[in-house]
Amino acid sequence: MKGETMSRAARREARYGLLFVLPWIIGFLAFTALPMAATFVFTFLNISLAEQEPLMFVGLANYQRLFADQQAWASLWVTARFALLWLPLVIALPFLLAVAVNSKYVRGAGLLRVLLFMPYVVPFVASALIWQNMLVNDGWINTALRLLGVGGAPSWLSDPAWVLPGLVMIGLWGLGSGIIINLAGLRGIPTELYDAARLDGAGWWRQLWHVTIPMMSPVIFYTMILAVVEVMQYFLIPLVLFDGSGNPGGATRFFNLYLYQTFFTYQEMSYGSTLAWLLFVITLIVTLVLFRLSRRWVHYTSER
Amino acid sequence: MNRLWHALVAIALAMALAACGSSPPPGGDVAAVELRWYCCLGTGEQAEQVKAQQKVIERFHAAQRRIRVKLEIVTYDSARDTLATQIASGNGPDLAGPVGVGGAAAFHGQWLDLAPLIKSSGFDLSSYAKGSADLYRIGSVQEGIPFAIYPSTLYYKADMFEEAGLAEPPHKYGEKYTWPDGRQSEWNYDTLRELALRLTVDKNGKDATQAGFNPGEIVQYGFEPARDDLRYQGAAFAAGSLDAGDGKTVKIPDAWADSWRFFYDGMWKDRFIMTGPVFETEQFNGDGAAFFSGHVAMSVNFLWSTYGVAGAGDDWDLAAMPSHDGRTTSPTSADTFRILAGSKHPAEAFEFLTYLVGPASQELLSAYGAMPARTADQDAFFAKLAEQFTNKVDWQVAKDSVAFADNPHSESHTPKYNQTLTVLGTYRSRWMTEGGLDMDAQLKKMREEIQGVWNRS
Amino acid sequence: MTIVMFGIVAAFLSPLVQMTLSSLKSERQVSQAHAPLLPSDPRTFTHEGRQYDVYRVPVDGAVRELALVKKGRAESEFVDPAAPEKGTVTWRGSWRTLEPSWTLAPQWSNYAAVWKLIDFPRLLLNTIALAVISTIGTVLSCTLVAYGFARFRFPGRGPLFTLLIATIFLPTAVTLIPTYTIFAQIGWVGTWLPLLVPTFFANAYSVFLLRQYFLTIPREMDEAASIDGAGPLRTLRSVIVPQAWPAITAVTLFNFVYTWNDYFTPLVYLSGRPELQPLQVGLATFNGLYSTKPAYIQAGAMMTIAVPVILFICFQRTFVRGVMSTGVEK
Repeated sequence: MKGETMSRAARREARYGLLFVLPWIIGFLAFTALPMAATFVFTFLNISLAEQEPLMFVGLANYQRLFADQQAWASLWVTARFALLWLPLVIALPFLLAVAVNSKYVRGAGLLRVLLFMPYVVPFVASALIWQNMLVNDGWINTALRLLGVGGAPSWLSDPAWVLPGLVMIGLWGLGSGIIINLAGLRGIPTELYDAARLDGAGWWRQLWHVTIPMMSPVIFYTMILAVVEVMQYFLIPLVLFDGSGNPGGATRFFNLYLYQTFFTYQEMSYGSTLAWLLFVITLIVTLVLFRLSRRWVHYTSER
Repeated sequence: MNRLWHALVAIALAMALAACGSSPPPGGDVAAVELRWYCCLGTGEQAEQVKAQQKVIERFHAAQRRIRVKLEIVTYDSARDTLATQIASGNGPDLAGPVGVGGAAAFHGQWLDLAPLIKSSGFDLSSYAKGSADLYRIGSVQEGIPFAIYPSTLYYKADMFEEAGLAEPPHKYGEKYTWPDGRQSEWNYDTLRELALRLTVDKNGKDATQAGFNPGEIVQYGFEPARDDLRYQGAAFAAGSLDAGDGKTVKIPDAWADSWRFFYDGMWKDRFIMTGPVFETEQFNGDGAAFFSGHVAMSVNFLWSTYGVAGAGDDWDLAAMPSHDGRTTSPTSADTFRILAGSKHPAEAFEFLTYLVGPASQELLSAYGAMPARTADQDAFFAKLAEQFTNKVDWQVAKDSVAFADNPHSESHTPKYNQTLTVLGTYRSRWMTEGGLDMDAQLKKMREEIQGVWNRS
Repeated sequence: MTIVMFGIVAAFLSPLVQMTLSSLKSERQVSQAHAPLLPSDPRTFTHEGRQYDVYRVPVDGAVRELALVKKGRAESEFVDPAAPEKGTVTWRGSWRTLEPSWTLAPQWSNYAAVWKLIDFPRLLLNTIALAVISTIGTVLSCTLVAYGFARFRFPGRGPLFTLLIATIFLPTAVTLIPTYTIFAQIGWVGTWLPLLVPTFFANAYSVFLLRQYFLTIPREMDEAASIDGAGPLRTLRSVIVPQAWPAITAVTLFNFVYTWNDYFTPLVYLSGRPELQPLQVGLATFNGLYSTKPAYIQAGAMMTIAVPVILFICFQRTFVRGVMSTGVEK
């Protein structure tokens, strides 16, 4: 289009197009771009309500403090450890359950689908409280473990070593939509591919490995990317369960919780903004890397 | 389709307007000043208390037309964060309370100095016990007028002592404890430990001093310390502060270290204090005051425990605080109302404040279950408490305890107050949940960690 | 296989069962170790004006239900509730080893109590109003924006769309403080406006789903309409929207559930105003206030999940099909 003038019709179309997307552009500027820029500017200032100092430019002081701040890195480590536990589950489990529900040996797929999806609509505050009731020392999980002969069942929510697995269990109720998305993806695989594979003498396992997984790779990638972005920001369930204390013993002081505390409890706006930018940069890097890696294993059947 | 579209737009607009309409303050009286009363940095969030507070406001409104007061209830769990955010964004309330020493320290420097207002209005401070106004003075700033005080005492279950064939702990300060064999011991934490072991019982009825005692199946615990706050726990041994005195150096008071070792060993070695995981079980009142479950023999707590102590049954009573190293301390909490330095109507806020601590105080104090700071009102308060409980309670213990209040107060301001609290909270939680720790190393690490926080400019 | 799958689902949903049972427990049962699974109360017996617990006591080879009147470490005294006039029976041994006598006693009154304590009708109304308005805002704005991206060429469309998608990956914390400060400055904090107004400016997720669906609608249909003289807005209304109904329903339902379940935004903006708060914030507050009454907490949880679960059961097809029809997009 360089150098040419747009035709009248094209200009008209462009005007309409911009008009339609205008609500989003305004919203983006007002609620995303400007606040983000402001947060960035904050990282070079000394806004902190706890200490009343005159507002001034402090250069990279907040960043220096960030690098020396053990708590920030400890919290990042909590988030990372949780992600390592959570991500394999949240990616694999919906896929496997969908494969199982879709299997021709399973009856009542419709009912299973609905039941598996249902907890997804349960508000997370309620589900956190319901699961808390399950996970306490005298709850059903430990009662079941004792019946199975497990001596010294873990204190899920009050042992620093077991609280992350406990939180993973609480998160299981959010898998519903992943299951449905995977199911939809499975339905979308042309049956001819399986027929062809069977003609080649492929058993169930080889069909799964050579047909299902490659064909499902875009769906798996999609659930993975969303899960990664979510897990980086994870903190609301511990916030509800432990009042943001990071208990037991700091084991649930997730990065986002520390950020939230820095903002709201310590009132250190500038330092909190620095933490927020760190989170943003890390998220950006991780998603970019994942997108780059996806070229190697995600197979798109048709070019769009 | 078309019509549905229009209908949707119309509904959206109508509802959006309705939502906007509710936001501006009702513009009734010509120039009535609207004050915002921010509640629940301490107590005041229970439904009955909210009602009492509303009633007090209504009465205030009926008496004059210049000042309107709006009560904002934020429950204790999120009250500090919310207030911080409101102040941060220039949206702070005029008045906050009831707020204790700790709640006030968390907002150090943000309270209005009342001294000029007290002076200009001629407010009489002489009706309070001497020195009690000092609980509300930080440096040269008078931040509050005395309102409520809560001394600490030892709550105990008389029936458990009886079952074990033991005498009840002494009610009078200075009295000794008498064992079944006639031996007498100083009423201190060593004696308490010895008693607590005998009062810790497993499922088979064996106590912690007997052979075959099963620590995995304890159904009754001997002692429950003040668990929520390590500083309070320390102050129950002796008053102190983490601040070595220069406002820069962290020093853990020796008595506090003693009390924390007592707490840690009590949980993991002696077993007469429940560990964190047990503390969370519903059987022991699920993360609440464990004494209220009725399965704990002794507990140190503030007088405000009267709000739920009925749960412990009808055989509880109060005893004197044990001593440590020959000194007795009853950590004392003090609540009042404070005016924010950022209030645009300080004069009106002060007028309302004097109403709250004056004419409205009786009603509020009884709703909060708080002991009046004004000495003349105290007898009426205890008479009322006595009516509230079916069992006979020796309230004189509470009155006597005031004389042993901690000074400096355990919740006093320190540098980086909220961050320091977080570190303390993390250690507290770690101690409750991990056995086998080396306490000397823990204390050293804690000191260093807090020092690190303080060193941050 | 079928049995295994249903077993998994049963385990997956068992917390709902425990919630229901727990919500009916009495405080007395909650505070006892090794209490039975079903809501029950320990039996008591009133003797000479005082209440005593009834235990199952082995006496001379038979188990008798006796009320424990005097506790002791080595021996205790009991009274037979059937014949209290006979006086006390002394039993040697630790009373703690005895089993209390339980009777089934579901506490339906827990629900009535919670209904009042939590002020359920008000919370429910707030939640419904918030969810309805913000869903309308989202659906309206997202349809328009998605239409713009799907059907019109304009300079910068590609980069703008990428930017839109990128906002999905943006941590909310990075915009929180300035946004909050601005809302506070214009007096919106403590009102519903910060929760509602942004929904009228579209969100990436819904725009993306709708746009993908719009792209599958053949362009010939719009062209036919525009030859008939329809402007873009009318084309949207008469061609695109009726065709994209499944996607729009899905976006509606998901936004409704999302708003219903949202906790953080209302927590931040409505924390001083309990009378404006939605259910989730109310429930979390309630949990803080009554954490020592697990039965109340579970009853409260039950009440807040009722609406979304019922809604889901009624519209489960639409829900599932909604995700299916939009979720396949990569």
